[in-house]
Amino acid sequence: MNTNVETFKYDNRIVRAFAIATIVWGVVGMAVGLLAAVQLFLPEANLNLQFITFGRIRPLHTNAVIFAFVGNGMFTGIYYSLQRLCKARMFSDFLSWFNFWGWQLIIVSAALTLPLGFTTSKEYAELEWPIDIAITVVWVAFAVNLFGTIVKRREQHMYVAIWFYIATVVTIAVLHIVNSMEMPWSGLKSYSMYAGVQDALVQWWYGHNAVAFFLTTPYLGLMYYFLPKAANRPVFSYRLSVIHFWALIFLYIWAGPHHLLYTALPDWAQSLGMLFSLMLIAPSWGGTLNGLLTLRGAWDKVRQDPMLKFMVAAVTAYGMATLEGPALSIKSVNSLSHYTDWTVAHAHTGALGWNGFLTFSMLYWLFPVLYRTKLWSVKLANYHFWISLLGVIFYVIPIYIAGVTEGLMWKQFTKDGFLQYPNFLETIVQVVPMFRLRAIGGTLYILGVLLMVYNLYRTAKSGKFEPDTVAQAAPRANHAAVAGKTTFHRLLEGKPLFFTVLAVVAILIGGIVEVIPMYLIKENVPTIASVKPYTPLEVMGRDIYIREGCLGCHSQMIRPFRSETERYGEYSKAGEFVYDHPFLWGSERKGPDLAREGGRYPDAWHFNHMDDPRSTSPGSIMPRYSWLLTQPLDTNSLPARLKALRKVGVPYPAGYENGPAQKDLVAQATRVVQNLKQGAVTAESDREIIALIAYLQRLGTDIKPAPAAAAAPSSFE
Amino acid sequence: MIEKIINGIHGVRNYGVISICILFACFIGTVIWAFTRKKHYLTRMSALPLNDGSKSGDLTDNHRP
Repeated sequence: MNTNVETFKYDNRIVRAFAIATIVWGVVGMAVGLLAAVQLFLPEANLNLQFITFGRIRPLHTNAVIFAFVGNGMFTGIYYSLQRLCKARMFSDFLSWFNFWGWQLIIVSAALTLPLGFTTSKEYAELEWPIDIAITVVWVAFAVNLFGTIVKRREQHMYVAIWFYIATVVTIAVLHIVNSMEMPWSGLKSYSMYAGVQDALVQWWYGHNAVAFFLTTPYLGLMYYFLPKAANRPVFSYRLSVIHFWALIFLYIWAGPHHLLYTALPDWAQSLGMLFSLMLIAPSWGGTLNGLLTLRGAWDKVRQDPMLKFMVAAVTAYGMATLEGPALSIKSVNSLSHYTDWTVAHAHTGALGWNGFLTFSMLYWLFPVLYRTKLWSVKLANYHFWISLLGVIFYVIPIYIAGVTEGLMWKQFTKDGFLQYPNFLETIVQVVPMFRLRAIGGTLYILGVLLMVYNLYRTAKSGKFEPDTVAQAAPRANHAAVAGKTTFHRLLEGKPLFFTVLAVVAILIGGIVEVIPMYLIKENVPTIASVKPYTPLEVMGRDIYIREGCLGCHSQMIRPFRSETERYGEYSKAGEFVYDHPFLWGSERKGPDLAREGGRYPDAWHFNHMDDPRSTSPGSIMPRYSWLLTQPLDTNSLPARLKALRKVGVPYPAGYENGPAQKDLVAQATRVVQNLKQGAVTAESDREIIALIAYLQRLGTDIKPAPAAAAAPSSFE
Repeated sequence: MIEKIINGIHGVRNYGVISICILFACFIGTVIWAFTRKKHYLTRMSALPLNDGSKSGDLTDNHRP
């Protein structure tokens, strides 16, 4: 036995910094979510300000709670537990603080750019290209710091929580880089390198695995560390935790296609995604049971201990969400649930229950430890638990009801074979009361969080912060020298690089099935002869559509169901999207699908509708977009936009952007203004609304005869 | 239409079958690996979070009444 004990210090400052950031961004992110929720029954809550309108703040909310709240929570837990599991200070204090300030800067950039309308529109990857580069740099710094700490560790073995951290670091790096390939056309705007179906495949491969490897695997690592701490007893089964890890990371990466069921993705890929999603139940529930059984013999403590209460509720929510997720992946269930609020309810069971409660549990445990004191008020923490639990219930149950109601109403036919609810608005008006109840649930949840903020503040005031914790451990002995031989197990735990390579192979095997079609598809999709690139004015309009976050409520993907083709028209074809950089299929319908919107209404209807949706559609919950009527169209950037689009494969002729494009734009804008005049609307041709109308009138018209209003021959055709 | 395109990629249907075989083999390997660990190793590993080597201790109970 090695008696050469070394004394060293754990860095608590970085843990405290991340913990405070978690709380601050948590409150901000949830408050933004509440504002978005209120706008769904009170559109005027945007105060007619474009910067806080639903379409722009929905991505702000999702980014804030995922990357700012959970992201900082993840760093808090990893920076605390990694040092202690490795019995070593972090590899580099500089990298720790680079990670911290870099991440906060990224969050601030997101908080500024998203309300300003700088978005890629790809869900959970909305941040634009300079921020994407910053994320890569900060993530690499985090990875170096993590691996450096693992390499210099004193503990012989790598605890399973560290395995989860490694899987998180490498997989998020792969996902982020592949999904963020884009062609900049200005300092803050870009077009996706991929188009249409290919873009959708990449995005949902990323999107699903962002949930898996940002919201799940790091938090499972935290569960495996903090749950034994809280219960003061060992993990129920270490064997099970190992099987949980490998099975989970292997299976998770395959499940992405369940986001694209009944779209243009081939059936075998959809079935594979569904099958692997169903299999995910096994490792997920293995982990859930392992967590809950760790509390065997300690359930009496749960009654008194708010930290354990939150932990038990978090693990239970994980179990529920991971049962529901596979259920939603079954194609027949998905045909009902997709595009409805059911998905929103599912996401929030995971976000509020699993991520939120586990974070609160960790914070209630950490603050007294960091400040060497007792929690200021256990009673208040218990109030927090019950209020927030009530908040979760009030949130998800109405939204489940809303989701199922929407799905059923969209599909309901009369006995004569006509749609029972042909007006989409009817189906949304029906669930508005549920949106109100949801906002009450969200309010309760935030109230609970505010109680926590006060409690933790008082806890900090009552103690004295310990910036460094002194610890002792023997240096790590040479494995081979100790054992006399190198086994696979020693290789696995002794060489983090070898372990990392195995983890990467595990995620790539699954990824390849999705990655190969994704790369081959572009060369293999024949263009439909009648599908042409967007005209310059339509490009400008499409960019406004992206800026305003219209796809937050409107899909552009008609599934091959009679209930959809009756309502919207011909189902969507892959070849229709070959010039769509990025794709705009959307994932939710708070308004009707727009894939065949072109020619459905006159230009004047769109003008009036954008100015005040309730003037044309009484009862609509869509916000007013009156600023589009007055804001001038930024035509100076047109050449840069067209050049960038040509670089990613849109066949605009060389030099088209230098002159002819501007002429085409003006000519089409003039036609739109004339059409508006026929509808008794007077408008200037150089306003944003003109471009948006041109784009909306183009949608879906490539494969159906376009009315005269939308026809816009360009000199490149 | 896109189904025909992807299904036309040479041998693409085999990807799924091969992948499921690899998954099954990996799973069996993991289970064998887990069940051949010695008891003292498993006992030590499952209790690893409880021993962080700090001199001052964790104050594990300081969030309880």
